[in-house]
Amino acid sequence: MNLDNFYKKTIKFFLKWLAKFYLVKNKPYIIVISGTTNRYWVREEIAGILRERNFLVRTNKKNFNAEIGLPLSILGLSSGEKKISKWAEILWQAVKINTKEYAGKEYLILEMAIDRPEDMDYLTGIVKPHTVILTTITMIYRENFENLDEIANEYAKLIKTIPWNGLLILNGDDKRIKKLSAFFDGKIIYCGFEEDAHFRTFDIKKVLDGQEFKVEIKRKEKEIRDFKIRTFGKHHIYAALVREAIADNFTTPAKEFFAKISKDLLDVSGE
Amino acid sequence: MFFRTQKINLSSIKQIELLASKIPDVVSLAQGIPSFDTPEVVKKAAIKALNNGKVAKYSLTTGIPELRETIEQKLAEENMYYDFETEIIVTAGSIEAITATLITVINDKKNEVILFSPSYASYAEAVKVAGGKPVFVNLTEKEYWRINFELLEKKITKSTAAILFCNPNNPTGTIFPKEDLMKIGKLAQKKKFFIISDEVYKDFIYIDQRPTPLSSGQATNDRQFFSLAEEPEFRKFTVRIFSLSKAYAMTGWRIGFLHSDEEITREILKTHDSLVTCAPVISQCAALAALDYADNEIINFRNEFNKRRKIVCDYLDELSSFFSYQKPNSSYFVFPKLLPKRDSWKFSLELLEKARVAVVPGAAFGPSGEGYIRISFGRSEKDIHEAFRRIKLYFNHQL
Repeated sequence: MNLDNFYKKTIKFFLKWLAKFYLVKNKPYIIVISGTTNRYWVREEIAGILRERNFLVRTNKKNFNAEIGLPLSILGLSSGEKKISKWAEILWQAVKINTKEYAGKEYLILEMAIDRPEDMDYLTGIVKPHTVILTTITMIYRENFENLDEIANEYAKLIKTIPWNGLLILNGDDKRIKKLSAFFDGKIIYCGFEEDAHFRTFDIKKVLDGQEFKVEIKRKEKEIRDFKIRTFGKHHIYAALVREAIADNFTTPAKEFFAKISKDLLDVSGE
Repeated sequence: MFFRTQKINLSSIKQIELLASKIPDVVSLAQGIPSFDTPEVVKKAAIKALNNGKVAKYSLTTGIPELRETIEQKLAEENMYYDFETEIIVTAGSIEAITATLITVINDKKNEVILFSPSYASYAEAVKVAGGKPVFVNLTEKEYWRINFELLEKKITKSTAAILFCNPNNPTGTIFPKEDLMKIGKLAQKKKFFIISDEVYKDFIYIDQRPTPLSSGQATNDRQFFSLAEEPEFRKFTVRIFSLSKAYAMTGWRIGFLHSDEEITREILKTHDSLVTCAPVISQCAALAALDYADNEIINFRNEFNKRRKIVCDYLDELSSFFSYQKPNSSYFVFPKLLPKRDSWKFSLELLEKARVAVVPGAAFGPSGEGYIRISFGRSEKDIHEAFRRIKLYFNHQL
């Protein structure tokens, strides 16, 4: 083993255990977004809606989403890049973070990326998510996986870690992803274009400055809403559907709600 | 025989470099190559991809999805919204993107492409490769290298297929202001031609001069860089091109991208596919790392270029009997006028022969570039000092 590998393995080991300790100690609510594409935009959308609703939200830094990046994201730290001294400082910071007490329930929204078959085992060894969102399974990793079904099997491992009272949000238009519902007995929401999706989009129009579409939300009573986004591409519509699904399932915590109300009341100046 | 290529010339920049390579101990301020090495994080990513067996096979013709997704994210940060699945194509550098676009938009009825003069030397040749005819619109130093719309409108005909320009401009370093670009957009909309905007130098803008309108009679230096690709009303006929060559010191990796509305990219993709199948996969992996992790390097490069710009300008000030110039606001080129007026090719060859310093003759950048030379400050400080030491000796008749 060369020196670079030795350092990498050591850093990886300590980061993994420091991140695990952080999660056990602080018990944040964890939402994991996985899939081969569209993790970033889904992450941005759901972080946005949860922040709007006064949740204490933290997300991955940059695209830190794999074996070293994920623990760094959990701990809220930057990369040491190639400098050993910087890594030593980062590990020390991680220790200090773990000695602090934090007020309030934190919501960690984490992208999780896999590059090869064993990656998911490693990542789920660190993170046990409460909610999982699966975006797509495309041919992105074909060099390291035999086929797309092999990638789907990796995502099944992730789904199996969701607790019974957790939530699974799936792309309702991808047959492989839909099949993965067999691995979870709890609440499942499908988002997509297909008729049976719980959050279904239709009447999509590409306009000069973005896209207009309707969203049908299937609850006890059906609801249809109009949407306009300034971005282009189907993946942004999926991200918007997931945002709605999250909005529907995560209402503002009572404590924060009343805190905001009282703050708003106190802010009425001049009266 | 060779009907198409007989009218195509090897770029003058390459010709000068070729001549320079035969002269020992030459200092070259000719080619637009940054003196820096590719950032470490980029090289490591390429090595990792290579070792993981990721680079041996073709990628999708449009490029690896992760890279296109990252490009989409980056564009959104700059107020440009394009779909990574249908509107972004990763290319083998910007010149492949330009050529593929030109081949796509040029046809029998619309075969003229408007180019500014001076502008990047290879544009005219790329137009000819695509079977088109370059039509030059002169920019003049007197007008601070800004676009003269009276001249431009006269050159637009029924045969105009596209306008191709570099913003910030190479070799003048001019940043075209938003108002001028919007006028181009409106003209293209009205006269139905495509806009090809090459923005490879957009990361090297030195903001020490304030913007001034053309009417003020002073040099215009728009501090706010603007791209027509930001404007939704122009997206259906605007193709924006960017390369990682300059921003991330990756000229040898041949990697860049283009983006436009899907109606155009769908067509360009066919040309891109037949030209290169896909951009080199190892370079795509490297580009992904560059866009994700190397933005700090751009800041370092920019600061360094800014220092070198000052050094070059100081030297030119010292040589004010032989050169007059406008301080460039961007890129890493300065485009001084030769005093007294002389033939730029003759001067460049003499400088190469006597002083062993390579510069590019202004004529290479179009008809209005005659009488000027292009000096690159992308080279190291050591090279710049040595080149100007020799240039001074040359002018003092000591060589």
